[in-house]
Formats: sequence, structure tokens, C-alpha cells
Amino acid sequence: MADEIQQAASKALMREMGLDEANIERRKKIVGFEASDVPRIAAIRDLVTQHTDDYVTTFFNHLSGLDDARSLIASRAIAERARQLKREHLVAMVQGEYGMKYVEQRIELGTLYAKAGLDARVFLGAFHQLLKHIGSAVMKQVDRKPLDGFESFMSLKKIAFFDIGLIVDVLVFERERVIRQQQESIRELSTPVLQIRERLLLLPIIGVIDTQRARLITESLLRSIRANRAKVVVMDITGVATIDSKVSNHLLQTVTAARLMGAHVIVTGLSAEVAQSLVALGIELSKLNTVGDLQGGLEEAERILGYRVLTTATDAGPAPEGS
Amino acid sequence: MSVPILKQGDVLIASIQAALSDRELAQLHDAFADQVGRFRSRGVIIDVTALDVLDSFATRTLRSIAYTAKLRGANAVVVGIQPDVAFAMVQLGLSLEGVATALDLEEGLAYIRDVAKRGSHRVR
Amino acid sequence: MSAEVSVPIERDADIVTARQEGRQLAAAAGFSSADQTIIALAISEITRNIVSYAQRGKVTLSRMDEGGRRGILIVAQDDGPGIPDIDLAMRDGYSTAKSLGVGLPGARRVMDEFELVSALGKGTTVTMKKWLR
Ligand SMILES: Nc1ncnc2c1ncn2[C@@H]1O[C@H](COP(=O)(O)OP(=O)(O)OP(=O)(O)O)[C@@H](O)[C@H]1O
Ligand SMILES: [Mg+2]
Repeated sequence: MADEIQQAASKALMREMGLDEANIERRKKIVGFEASDVPRIAAIRDLVTQHTDDYVTTFFNHLSGLDDARSLIASRAIAERARQLKREHLVAMVQGEYGMKYVEQRIELGTLYAKAGLDARVFLGAFHQLLKHIGSAVMKQVDRKPLDGFESFMSLKKIAFFDIGLIVDVLVFERERVIRQQQESIRELSTPVLQIRERLLLLPIIGVIDTQRARLITESLLRSIRANRAKVVVMDITGVATIDSKVSNHLLQTVTAARLMGAHVIVTGLSAEVAQSLVALGIELSKLNTVGDLQGGLEEAERILGYRVLTTATDAGPAPEGS
Repeated sequence: MSVPILKQGDVLIASIQAALSDRELAQLHDAFADQVGRFRSRGVIIDVTALDVLDSFATRTLRSIAYTAKLRGANAVVVGIQPDVAFAMVQLGLSLEGVATALDLEEGLAYIRDVAKRGSHRVR
Repeated sequence: MSAEVSVPIERDADIVTARQEGRQLAAAAGFSSADQTIIALAISEITRNIVSYAQRGKVTLSRMDEGGRRGILIVAQDDGPGIPDIDLAMRDGYSTAKSLGVGLPGARRVMDEFELVSALGKGTTVTMKKWLR
């Protein structure tokens, strides 16, 4: 059950990262992996599978010695799981199948490292130790035919680098996700939509508006209109420093979009200068419902809402009739 | 699939349930034009809550429905445009100028009652 | 998990199919629901032009992955009459069909990259890209 959830998560992450068959093929090409590598790897299969525990130990011993890896080693559950996955990894590495399933397992391990906050450089250090260990074992074993051993090891190394590419990409992707989330919440804070009372929203716009921010303002306003069933929005632009054609277009778009959803927009805080530059920019102020200051805007909003409440209260809903 | 038009008092309501092809939208337009006159309806509501896109053709058709309704003495209101849909429309450059809009069916009905009571179109 | 979809455009119902495919692909590529809608809308406009002005054609939708930058690629192609004056056709409000004239300029506005190639009597190809932010 837990495995299934984990698998689903890995698959979802693969989709997010664009890891499809084509991408995997491209990755193999990048490390120079060819069909001829498969039999070479097969030649050292037993050697690797018979000593997986040794190699896994090498990997984790290296990590235990490092302060930077403490979070991975410290949690028993994570460390155990990582060990198990690493063991499976070594076995899979020499089976000759490096498709979606193989990648999925690498992604799961990568996600685990990311969760434990393992840095790419720390992982690389430990993986290097493990490879060195395998390499010397291979060379010892095949000392009668050193060239064959060398070739087998080089083929295995291609897969190792294929794996490193995947793991590092997961680590980077997950780190970027954290940054993306932080940016999201900063943005949300910078575009607050406040509910003043039932069906009335206030959107104070402060600071510099660029295209990206205008987008966010509009998006969050529209969602709030639906979520709060808002009828009137007071958009206060007292805090907008300068208005150029781009900014005024953005504001107009926001107003238009809110209207499409059935909300009235009242614009307040329009200074004489801003009003003038709007006119100069060819924006018809008549298209906007503008009220001098925020106080006046809120009163106007109450008026619209009050009127609505009155009319709906005197009428007892739609008479249900046959169609 | 054509959209059924329900009659609720003197209001005609079409709730679009799934994505419509241009032909189906045009059929909806014609059905409204026919029924508004026949039933002497006071209001027309087009509920687009279920639509995940309103493109130029849909916009044009909605405007045309509103216009036709007005010619026959009825008020039209488009209800239920979703946030993402509204956003995409304004980004592309589409609007529903001259067409009343409301949040949902309930608001749409309230709007039509308002206008009827005041005997004039509310300035939007 | 095929990364490319091709939709033949011959009737108005194909427009619906094309934009639904586009939305699905955009969702799988990780676009926000607002962006999915924008992508579906652009596809709707461009494929409608095929039905209206060229009768038949096709649209090919695929995911892009170029050196870490990911996104969606839309190529709409027809063998119709072509567009005599591209600059004019790209202008807001210009329409030979008494329509709004918003399809082409609008699609360009909402996509990150937009290219229109047309040859009289040979056909028209519109290539649009949107990148994941
Ligand atoms: N695929 C095409 N083949 C031939 N002509 C085209 C094609 N696409 C567009 N055009 C021409 O370019 C003009 C502008 O297209 P655009 O989509 O911007 O506006 P429209 O289709 O006229 O109106 P709207 O899209 O707003 O309904 C069209 O009127 C038509 O003459
Ligand atoms: Mg068009």
C-alpha cells in the first residue's frame, strides 16, 4: 500500500519533470550508452549482485562520516529505506533494463535524498566511493583479462552517470519547488484581496505593477469573487505610483474580467494626475466607475449592495413553473 | 447535443452542460430568438458555468443572443463565467460589452427582476 | 504517454476536440489551470480559422523540452487559400468575415511565441509556443 503510494508519487514527479520514454532515450545517448554495453555489463553481473551488501555499506559508511549527511543517517526510517533502495539499485544496475521502471526506482531514491535534504555534492561523493569499490573489485576478479574487465566497468559507469543525472535532476527540481512555493506565498502577500463584508471585496493595489504581478492580481481577484460570491469590488489605486499605458491596460483588464464574472468594480484613489494620464493614454474614464476616495467608494458599494438586498428581500424568489 | 431551454415564469433559461460546437451554439441562438418572441419573455438567462472556454465565436453568439433578446423586449444575462475563463478572455481581447453578466443563476434571476421593477436597464 | 497529438480539423466539432486535447496536454505538462484555459482558447481561435477559411487542415500538439525549458508547441496547418496580407490579418479588428478580427492578434498576445507563415494558394501554418514559468 505504502509502496503503491510511493510509486504513484514517483510517476507523478516523472511527469512533472518531463521524464518520458523519449527523454530517457536522450539521456542514454548523453552518457553514450549503446546496445553493446548490455553484454559487457552482464559479464560482471554476478560479481556485483553477490556483493551488494558490501557496496551499500561503502556508500553509507562514507555518508556516516559526513556532517552534511546527518539528516539522512539520523532518521532511522529514512536510512533503512535508503539502504534498501540502494541495494535494489545495485542489482537493477546490472540487469540490462534501463527503461521507465528503472528510472522510476531512481526517482524514488532521489526523492528520498531530497526529503532528507541531502546535497548533490554529498551524494556524488558517496557514489564515487561506491563506484571505486566496484571498480577495484572488477579489476581484481578479471586480472587475467584486464581489458575485458575495464570495458565492463566502463559500460557500467555509463549507467552510473545516467543515474547521477537523474538523481541530481530530482534534487535540483525539488529544491526549485521549495523556491517556487516561497515565491508563491510572497506574491500572495503582495496582492491581498480583503473581504470587507458579505459580497464586498477590497483590492488595494500598492507599488509597482508589472505584467507578471498584474496577472497575479487579476487571478487572485477573480478567484476571490467566486469564492466569496462577491457582487462589488472596490479597487483602490491610491498606492500606485505611476501609470503608463501598460499599467492602465492591466487595470482595465482586471476590471473587465471582474465584470465578466458579474461583479461591479469601483475604482478609487485616482489622483488628478493619474486621471489625466489615463485620458492622455486614450482610456475612456467613462468605462470605469470611479469614485474619488476609498471612503466614497465603500459608500457607493454599500449603496449598490443595499439596493440589492432590498429588492431581493421584497420578492420571494422565482416562482417554480413547468418548463 | 442541443441545449434545452427551460421556461421559468417569464424567464427563459438555458444551462449549457458541456462544451458546444459552433453549430450547437448557433442553434441555441436560433432557439432563443424563436422562443423569446413566442412566449413574450421578459428575460433570458444563459448559464455558462460548465464551459471551460469562451472563444470569439461563443462571445459573438452571446452578444448576438443579448441583442436579439433586446429587440424583442427581453433582457439577457450571461451567468457563471468561471475565473479562468474570464481571465483568458480578457487576455485574448474578448469582452461582452453591452451584455449583462451575473455570478450565477440566482443572481441572474435577481438581476432580471431588478430591471423589470425599475423599468429600465441598469447601468453597468 | 505519447508526447504528440495530431487532430484533423474538418468540421466545427473538431475545434472542440482540438482544444480539449490541448488542455489535457497542457495539464500533463504542468501548466496552471489559468494557463490551460489560455492555451485551449488560442487553439480554439486558430483551428476555427482553419474551418472558416481553409475548410480543412490539422493541428499538432506536443510538449517541448529544450535544455531544461519546458512547454507546449502548437502547429496548425492548412492547404487553404493563404493570407494575402499577413500584417493586416494580424491587426486587431481586421476581419474578412465581418467577425471580431481578434483570433490571430489575440492568440499572439496570449502565447509566448507566435509565427504565421502563409503562401497564397498554398496554405497557412501557425506555430505557437508557451513556456512553463
Ligand atoms: N487559416 C487561414 N487561412 C486563410 N485566411 C485566414 C486564416 N486565418 C485567418 N485568416 C484571415 O485572417 C483574418 C483575420 O483572422 P482572425 O482570426 O484574426 O479574425 P477573424 O477570424 O476574421 O475573426 P474572429 O477570429 O475574431 O472571429 C481572417 O478574417 C481571414 O481573412
Ligand atoms: Mg478567427
